[in-house]
Amino acid sequence: MSSVRLSDILRTTSFRLALLFLGLFGAASLIVFGFMYLQIARYASHGMDNWLHTELASRTETHSSERMRQLNARPVTDPEGRRPIALFDAEGRWVAGSQATLPSPMPPLDQPFEFVQQRGDEIAPFRGLLHRLGSGDILLVARDMRDIRHITELLVKAMGSGALVVLALGLTGAMLTGAVALGRIDGVTRAIERIVNGHLSERLPTDGRGGDVNRLIHVVNRMLDEIEQVMSEVKGVTENIAHDLRTPLTRLLAGLERVRRRDATAEEAADAIDEAIVETKDLLATFNALLRIAEIEAGARRAGFKTIDLITLASDVGDFYEPMAERKGVTLAVDNELADAASLSGDPSLLFEAIGNLVDNAIKFTPAGGRVSLRAFRRGDRLGIEVSDTGRGIPEGERDSVLRRFHRVDKSRGAPGSGLGLSLVAAVAKLHSFDLVIEDAGPGCRVILWYPDGAAGANSPGSQRPVLSDEALTGPQPRLA
Amino acid sequence: MARVLVIEDDRRTAAEIAAALGDHGFDVECAYNGRDGLLRATAEKYDAIVLDRMLPGDLDGLGVLATLRTIRTETPVLILSALSAVDERVRGLRAGGDDYLTKPFESVELTARLDVLIRRHAVPQRETTLRIGDLNVDLLTREVRRGGRAVELLPREYRLLEYLMRHAGRVVTRTMLFEEVWGYHYDPQTNVIDVHVGRLRRKLEEDGLPQMIHTVRGSGYVLRAAE
Repeated sequence: MSSVRLSDILRTTSFRLALLFLGLFGAASLIVFGFMYLQIARYASHGMDNWLHTELASRTETHSSERMRQLNARPVTDPEGRRPIALFDAEGRWVAGSQATLPSPMPPLDQPFEFVQQRGDEIAPFRGLLHRLGSGDILLVARDMRDIRHITELLVKAMGSGALVVLALGLTGAMLTGAVALGRIDGVTRAIERIVNGHLSERLPTDGRGGDVNRLIHVVNRMLDEIEQVMSEVKGVTENIAHDLRTPLTRLLAGLERVRRRDATAEEAADAIDEAIVETKDLLATFNALLRIAEIEAGARRAGFKTIDLITLASDVGDFYEPMAERKGVTLAVDNELADAASLSGDPSLLFEAIGNLVDNAIKFTPAGGRVSLRAFRRGDRLGIEVSDTGRGIPEGERDSVLRRFHRVDKSRGAPGSGLGLSLVAAVAKLHSFDLVIEDAGPGCRVILWYPDGAAGANSPGSQRPVLSDEALTGPQPRLA
Repeated sequence: MARVLVIEDDRRTAAEIAAALGDHGFDVECAYNGRDGLLRATAEKYDAIVLDRMLPGDLDGLGVLATLRTIRTETPVLILSALSAVDERVRGLRAGGDDYLTKPFESVELTARLDVLIRRHAVPQRETTLRIGDLNVDLLTREVRRGGRAVELLPREYRLLEYLMRHAGRVVTRTMLFEEVWGYHYDPQTNVIDVHVGRLRRKLEEDGLPQMIHTVRGSGYVLRAAE
């Protein structure tokens, strides 16, 4: 929080919210206070008017001689002249009672009115009542209003100082809240900046308490965990790619340099060119495979999806790889355990390629005399397609990593292939929402692609043999809806 | 000589394609943008068009193709694309393309496919027998005879042979065979097709009969009448 600036605090949401609440609270207090003030003032003036009327009535009812006596005693009974009672003749000239002058013009009779009188050095406010007696004289009853004024002034002062305290406390609170929020956001911002600068293991700070912000930070941190993991995988893949491509590129370069160095004959040069072409093609094939996997992995697009019959697919793959198995001395058996057509939605070429890769791998890693089997089956309402072999199998610890790009079970480094086959299978499986399971077949390896629950068996009439060429797209006879 | 129009914005790629097609015996012209390409394709008569999927400007490959098909220009079009995504191919063929090839490709693959496109367009296939040299195939009964002697083939082998015979004298690549005979679209990157062709070859050349199916190094096969 060292670099917290005042202007930054003033701009924080927390500060502004606090300020807003302060304002609302202040306005509400003002209304309440105003109401109270009005009520008190009204009560006070009401009470005073009552007093004036009562006093006037009692003076009026008194006998005139007794009244004169009381009036003459007034400077003694009320020496400060706070409650003046005075008698004036019909012309308004003072006759008897407290020291007082009638305001001119003369206010209406029998109605309370306000006027001022000189009292010592100051001019004091008074409220009074006039009444004409039977003799024609005018009786004034009045009362000094300074007491009441004093009370209301005290009230206003108390409210004012209260408001000042509230304002000071509120502003301080708002600033503090703003500063805390700012400090927090500064912390988060700094963490994010470090992440942007490549420190992927950095996480956003939490203060350990609950609350909405902390929850948000937890979610963001989880997201960062995920991203970090993906990034490290990508990094691993990149390193693998660079590694695996360097070898053929080095060979290519060495071959070309050799011909150049040795003043080769036309025939040697032609051979070298052929070799270079083969190497380059292999490299291209590797790149293409990588691109394909990336595209399949990124693909939520399923324009190539059709209804496919699993049995047809399995027998096509079996048919395609059978000669290869035969040449290697491996039995390739296609077992169909499905009684009826089992159709699913997918891209036929991708599924053929994926299952083909599994069969290809199985044949490659099964010694002569062994057996590879390709099986389509149903368990409950799940469809499965399984490729198993009697080869060496995949050690349990490596079953996840074989799905990664360029991974080859160590001992098979010498075997042909780019090490991308199973990555492609994994990508295709993911695109089709298949579960890919690698198991020990004891001996050998078993790979099962599980078609997701409930999605199987969506047979539509007339689709028993899926279209596996593009005739449906280009030809005049659309066979599939 | 077959005339081919190449619509490709990258001039070096266009030059390479033109060279490969020229070496193969095609008469090649190049256009470097969609507008120019469309203009030429409609103004002149070509036997085939090689069309890049991604062209700069307002008219890309699919736009050119769609326009051509709208005005009923039926010249076969082979789409070239850097996009190998599965459904890009579907999209290209739906727009009216006759074949689809992903970059980078081998020149043999391109010329072999163009050969097929041009021939398919030129010759309606109505014959009931195919005959190359002493090899006879009855398309109705699926009987194969070489020099009067019956050759027993499995269904897949028969389809391989039929495809090779329909394109006799021309190179067909492994990928083309795989697409046509097995009906799946990708580059299988394996020698499995060689094994299949090897089996067919052994059956055709039994008892020391001269070779008919020749391997073209690195690319594919060609079936020719035995000398």
